[in-house]
Amino acid sequence: MQRFKGWFGGGAVLCLMAGGYTGLLTSPPDYYQGEIVRIMYVHVPLAHTALFSYSVLFGGSLWYLWKHEPFIDNMCHAAAGISALFTLLALITGSIWAKPTWNTWWTWDPRLVSFAVLLLILGGYLMLRTFLIDDPEKEGRYAAVVAIIGFIDLPIVHFSVEWWRTLHQPQSISTRGVAISDDLLLPLMLMSIGFTLLFVYMLIIRTQLLYLTSLLHAKKGRLLSHVHLSQAGS
Amino acid sequence: MTGFYVRWFGVFILSMVFVFLVDQRYTHTLKTIPLKTVRIQSGSHGSVRIMGMVKSGSLHGNLEEGRAAFELVDGAEAVRILYNGLPPENLRELKTVVMIGRWDSEARVFRAHEMGLVPHFGFVASAYVVAFLPIMVVIFFMSRKVMLLFQEIKQSKLYEPEAPSHVDKG
Repeated sequence: MQRFKGWFGGGAVLCLMAGGYTGLLTSPPDYYQGEIVRIMYVHVPLAHTALFSYSVLFGGSLWYLWKHEPFIDNMCHAAAGISALFTLLALITGSIWAKPTWNTWWTWDPRLVSFAVLLLILGGYLMLRTFLIDDPEKEGRYAAVVAIIGFIDLPIVHFSVEWWRTLHQPQSISTRGVAISDDLLLPLMLMSIGFTLLFVYMLIIRTQLLYLTSLLHAKKGRLLSHVHLSQAGS
Repeated sequence: MTGFYVRWFGVFILSMVFVFLVDQRYTHTLKTIPLKTVRIQSGSHGSVRIMGMVKSGSLHGNLEEGRAAFELVDGAEAVRILYNGLPPENLRELKTVVMIGRWDSEARVFRAHEMGLVPHFGFVASAYVVAFLPIMVVIFFMSRKVMLLFQEIKQSKLYEPEAPSHVDKG
């Protein structure tokens, strides 16, 4: 993956620039929403990427519990932090869209609440990894269990607009078809691909960062123990 | 580290070009002028956009045929509008709208041929800033930290291989 880091980063920049160009400059305003529809080109891809990144965390957690590979644990830790960032940004951009459209920054809508719960789950996961446990093996195992339990929220987020009466509009792209015009679909797809590539790029960097940090700690610890041993010997 | 900062400078320049293009589009196609200056600016710039609320009780005409007359108010300022264009579905009393047209100084009315929704471009711009700025900042500091960690590991010779463990090979 490390070798393809540049490709992911470059691809993300290209897709996001093309998506931003079509979304902000060339696509027409929506008949009912007007210019506000342009917020959708960042809000929806951010939300999709947040859900995708949590799916990566879920898959990685299952894999870690099965194989106990430290690299996978690092990757899960990295995915959780990035997923929390994307979830938070999706909530904020959604709130900015809601103010001129619904005349409120926040409403207790099932989609919004279930998405906020996802952020709380990720917050809990990161707190567990940061503050609670000193044993890395145990930390990885407990965190994986939390991530797997938290995955219950994902179908709730996805189907909330169908299970309950909500203010939030239903899926525009589903197995039933595409409910938006090509002019609006193009920037949406470009931004979605761009944010997904950006997530992979960030995941590689953050996994590398966590690995190097732990390596440095381990090496420093070992060197210090050598120093202590040699001092004790003399 | 120089290559790293050069790459990020490139990203910064690209972003600034993008911001400039978006600002140009906003200025040319979405920006509205205040009602009190419409009489001056409309003559010199041709078609302009004005924004205000349709005054209650002032709306008359045949909306289905795309003809309407009403007063547009913004604070203490009021301008008489004569609309002639496509049938406007969003034109209602007490609704804030954008009218596109020009000032007729002889009849002292604003002749509008098109109607638009309130752009709310501040919301759009802030959503994009909120979406991209934190991500860029996070990536910048993560990448920088990775490079610094690599350097630290190299310089402090922490990367040296560990001493072989004494395991009997017999």
